[in-house]
Amino acid sequence: MKLDLIKYSLGNITNRKLRSFLSILSILIGIMAIFAILSFGQGLRGYISSIAEEMGTNRIIIQARGFTPPGTSSVFFTKEEVDFVAKINGVNHATGLTFTYAELKYKDYKTKIEPVVSYAQDENKKMVEETFAFEIIQGRSLKKGDVDKIVIGYYYTQPDKVFSKPILIGDKIQLNGKTFEVIGYNNELGNPADDQQLFVTLDGMEYLTGIKDTYHFVILEAQPDMAPKLLAEKVQEKLRKRRGQKEGNEDFYAQTFEDAIATFTSIITGLNAVLFVIAFISVIVAAVNIMNTMYTAVLERTKEIGILKSIGARNSDIFFVFVFEAGMLGLLGGLVGVILGYLIATAGGNIAASAGFALLRPAFPWWLTFGCLAFSFLVGAASGFNPARHAAKQKPVDALRYE
Amino acid sequence: MRKEYFTLALGSLRKRRLRSWLTMLGVIIGIAAVISLIGIGEGLRNFVSGQFNVLDTNVLSISAEGTGGPPGAGVINPLTERQRQAISRVKGIDIAIGRIIEFGFSEFNDKTHDSYFASVPSGQARDAMYDIANYEIEKGRLLKDGDTTRIVVGADYADKDTFGKPVEVGSRLSIDGTAYTVTGILKRKGSFMIDNTIIMNEEQMQTQFSLVKDEYDVIAARVKDGEVPKAVKVDVEKVLRKERNVKLGEEDFSVQTAESALQNLNDVLFAVQLFISIIAAVSLVVGGIGIMNTMFTAVLERTQEIGIMKAIGARNSNIFILFAIESGLIGLVGGILGILIGSAMAYGLSFGASSWLNQDITASISPALILIALGFSFFLGTLAGIIPAFRAAHLHPVDALREGK
Repeated sequence: MKLDLIKYSLGNITNRKLRSFLSILSILIGIMAIFAILSFGQGLRGYISSIAEEMGTNRIIIQARGFTPPGTSSVFFTKEEVDFVAKINGVNHATGLTFTYAELKYKDYKTKIEPVVSYAQDENKKMVEETFAFEIIQGRSLKKGDVDKIVIGYYYTQPDKVFSKPILIGDKIQLNGKTFEVIGYNNELGNPADDQQLFVTLDGMEYLTGIKDTYHFVILEAQPDMAPKLLAEKVQEKLRKRRGQKEGNEDFYAQTFEDAIATFTSIITGLNAVLFVIAFISVIVAAVNIMNTMYTAVLERTKEIGILKSIGARNSDIFFVFVFEAGMLGLLGGLVGVILGYLIATAGGNIAASAGFALLRPAFPWWLTFGCLAFSFLVGAASGFNPARHAAKQKPVDALRYE
Repeated sequence: MRKEYFTLALGSLRKRRLRSWLTMLGVIIGIAAVISLIGIGEGLRNFVSGQFNVLDTNVLSISAEGTGGPPGAGVINPLTERQRQAISRVKGIDIAIGRIIEFGFSEFNDKTHDSYFASVPSGQARDAMYDIANYEIEKGRLLKDGDTTRIVVGADYADKDTFGKPVEVGSRLSIDGTAYTVTGILKRKGSFMIDNTIIMNEEQMQTQFSLVKDEYDVIAARVKDGEVPKAVKVDVEKVLRKERNVKLGEEDFSVQTAESALQNLNDVLFAVQLFISIIAAVSLVVGGIGIMNTMFTAVLERTQEIGIMKAIGARNSNIFILFAIESGLIGLVGGILGILIGSAMAYGLSFGASSWLNQDITASISPALILIALGFSFFLGTLAGIIPAFRAAHLHPVDALREGK
C-alpha cells in the first residue's frame, strides 16, 4: 500500500517537470552553499586538531602580554629565567625562542624584511620542532656550532613567492648585511606568514643582532603525571614572584597549547556558524518556494484528491502522499546540492592551496553528506506539511465538485 | 491603456492571494537579509575607520616599512631627525614633527593596563602637534616644555573600568616603576588612538623606554594651505629616497595621506562585507526562482484566458507586458517590504550591539542602497517573469482556447 503511494508521489513530480525542477533548483542552491561552507570549517578544525595532536597536549608556552607582533615586544625572558622554569617541579624540559626581523638581500633582488627564528640546537631541539611542526625536507638541519648557516622556509624554495627564483641550498644570502649560507629547506606549514620564516641557531642570532640569552617565548613540556593546566598556573605564579610582579599585573602569561588552540577553534566555529546562518536564509526561501509549489499542486489536484478519497483513500494516505512528494523535492535538491557543493569546495581548496593557504583544505566527513541529505528532506517535508494537511482535510464531495 | 496593465496584473495577484504572498515572502526574506547585513556592515566599517581616522586631511603620515604591526614595529631602518629636517624643508610642507610610539603597561590602583604611549615634541612644534593629533583637553592642562614626570592621559583612563577607580588630575600612575603625575585628561574622541593614549614629552619618552635619540616611529607632516597633499607627497617621497639612499620602486618607507592610510583597512573590511553579501544574495536568486515558478503556474492556469484575450484582439506584446508587469510587481512589492523589515532589523541589531558593547555603532543604510535594492527587486521580478511571459505571449490562440477543458 505504502509503495503505491510512493509511486504515485514520484509520478506527480515527473508529471510537472518544470515546476519540480524549479523547486529542486531553489533548494539545491542553499544546500550547496551550506555544504561548501561546513566542509571548509570541518577541514580547518581537522587541521588544527591534527596540529594539536602532533605537538602534544603537554606543552606550555610563556609569552609577553599585550598586543605587539612577535619579536617586537619589550618583554623578554632571560636565560636564568628559562633555567629557573626548567627546574620547577613538574617541568620536563624548557627552552627559549628568539625572534627578530631582518633585511634579507638575495642576489640582485629587492631587499625584503623577513622574520628570523632561533632556538637552541640541543636536547630540546626536538620539542621545539614538534611543537611548531618544523621539519627539514631537503639539505640538513641546523646543529650546535653552526653560526652563519641558515634554514629557509618553504616560500623561499618556490619561484615567484618571495623572489622570482627559488633560493638554492649552498646559496649565500645577506641578513642585515651579514652573510649566511643556506643549508636546508623547511617543510610547508600552510600559511604565508609561517612559510616565510628563516631559521638560525642561537649563535647565529647573536651574530645577526648581538642579542644573546634573551628570549621572546619559552616552551616547556609537562611531566607525564602533571596536569598541564595546573602546571601553567604554577609556572605563572613562580615566574611572577621571581620577576617581582603582583598577581594580575604580570607582563607575561603562561598558557597550555590546548587552551591557545581552544581559543582559535572557538573563533573558527563562530565564524562558521555566522556563514551557516546567512546561507540558511536561502534554504528558508527555498522552503517557502516548496510550500508554494505544494499548495498549487493541491489546488490543481483537488478533483484527483476527491476521486482518491471516494475509492477509499484515508486522510492519512493523502497527507502522506503530499508530504512525501515535498520531501522528495527537498531530497533531490539536497542530492544535487551536495554534489555541486563538493565540487565547489574541492575547487576552492585547490585555489587556496595554490595561493599559499594549504590549511584551507575542505573535509568531507560522512555525517556532513548524510546530514545535508536528511536536512534537505526534512525541510521539504516540513514545507509540505501545511499544504498536505489542507489536502487531507478536504471533503470528498466538495473536492469532486471542484472545477 | 497602460493603467489597465496594472489593474489586470494586480487583479490576478489578488485572486491568488496565498500564492502571491508566499512568492513575495521569498523576495522579502532575501532583500531584508541583504539590506540588514549591508547596513550593519557599513555601520561597523564606519566604526572601525573612526578608530583610526583622527588625522586631518592635510597631514601626511610617514613611516619606515616594518612588519605590518603598529607603527614602528619591527622597523630595521628607522626615520631620523635628519630625515625629519629634510622633510620640513620640502616646498609645500608647513611643519614636520617626529613622534615616538610605544606599547607598554601603566599601573594605578594596583592594576595594570595595556597602554599606547605617544610623544610630543618641545618648542614651537608642540602646539602644531596638539592640533594635528586632535588632542583637546577636558580637565587640567596639556604638557608643556620641561615637564618630565608629568603625563596627559586619554579619556579611557577617567573611566572606572580601566583601573577599578578613575584616574583624576593629580593622580599618580606608575610606568615600569617610574611614578608620573597626571596633569590633564583629554576629551573623548571615540578612537583608541586618542582615548587609550598616554602622552609624554619626547625627551622623557626616550628616557622611559631607553630609546635612541633622534629616531622616530612616525613623522607627521602638515601640508601648507592651498597645496595639494597628493602632489606634496610625491616631493616628500623624492627627498626621502635621496636621504635614505634607496631607488625608486625599492622604498623602505611609506608616505600616506590621511585617506590612503585608511585605504588598506577599508579594502579588507569591504572584501569581508562583499563576501557575506554575496552569500546572502544567494537567497535572492532563490526568491527569483520562486517568482519564475509562480509565473509558469499562472500562465498554465490562465491558458484559456490568454486564448480569449488573443481572440478579442490582444497582441503578443500585450500579453507579454501583462505577465512581465505582474511578475515585476511581485518583485517590487516584495522589495519594498524587504527594505522596511531589513532596515528595522539593521537598526535594531546595531542598537542592541551598541548598548551591549558600550560603543557607538550605528547601522548605515544609504538612499543609494535603498534605490539599488528597489531597482534590483523589480528587475529580479521582471527577469524571472520573462520566460513565462514569453511562453504566454506565443501561445496559439486556438490551442489556448481548446486547452484547459
